[in-house]
Amino acid sequence: MTFAQRRHDVLAGNIANVDTPGYHARDMSIEQFQGDLSEAIEARDAPPALRMLSDGELDRPLGPKIADVADNSKAILRHDENSVNMEQQVAEMAKNRILHNTALTILMKQFRMLETAIRERIT
Amino acid sequence: MLFTALDISTSGLQAQRTRMQTAASNVANLSTSINENGERKPFQPRYVTFEATEQPGTPGLAGVRVASVTQSTAEPVYRYDPDSPEALQQGPYAGCVPMPNVNLLGQMTDAMEAVRSYEANLGVFEMSKDIAEQTLRILT
Repeated sequence: MTFAQRRHDVLAGNIANVDTPGYHARDMSIEQFQGDLSEAIEARDAPPALRMLSDGELDRPLGPKIADVADNSKAILRHDENSVNMEQQVAEMAKNRILHNTALTILMKQFRMLETAIRERIT
Repeated sequence: MLFTALDISTSGLQAQRTRMQTAASNVANLSTSINENGERKPFQPRYVTFEATEQPGTPGLAGVRVASVTQSTAEPVYRYDPDSPEALQQGPYAGCVPMPNVNLLGQMTDAMEAVRSYEANLGVFEMSKDIAEQTLRILT
């Protein structure tokens, strides 16, 4: 969810800069995030290496840095050297929203499970 | 993949936007007598060519992209206007001004069709989004 929220910010920045000369569209790699996430889960599940810090944060930043995708073949550089493609950005935002909502629903379900356990009855 | 249809619709939206821009450029240059290189030649209308593209990761499904924007090679239209400083002095078209050979009706129809196609792609996009959201409802 945090990743989806940050990616949403990045995409919003791209759309805001749709008319800024020389601006290159930015993005965060979902593949890299998923790779990092599964690595982190494996590391967590391996007993000796439970590498969570006291405040619940992982001991290293999860997820990639914001990457410039101007070299991406999908991005055509316009005459003002701006590579933001409105349709593509909006589509990525729609996808990101669905991914975020999936993560949110799963989290909500986990809370509901805890709630059920606390109440000791199925509501 | 859950989002393949979204990617395909996005490619359609992009292609139709380019087509709309081409039509807009052709209409805007309806009476342009100097081309973009500064030569005294009338503007040549542009036409987009679409091309089906294989969607990465899902063989058999095709998106679309603009293969090329080609300039028309049609002869200019000669408008008789002997008082104009641009009028030709000699030859068979003496007293005429060469003007772009832009078919306004055709361009307007093309623009309207581009808008309708854009709307259609947007409609499909919304439906695909709905499907993805409905899938999410399995969890709730």
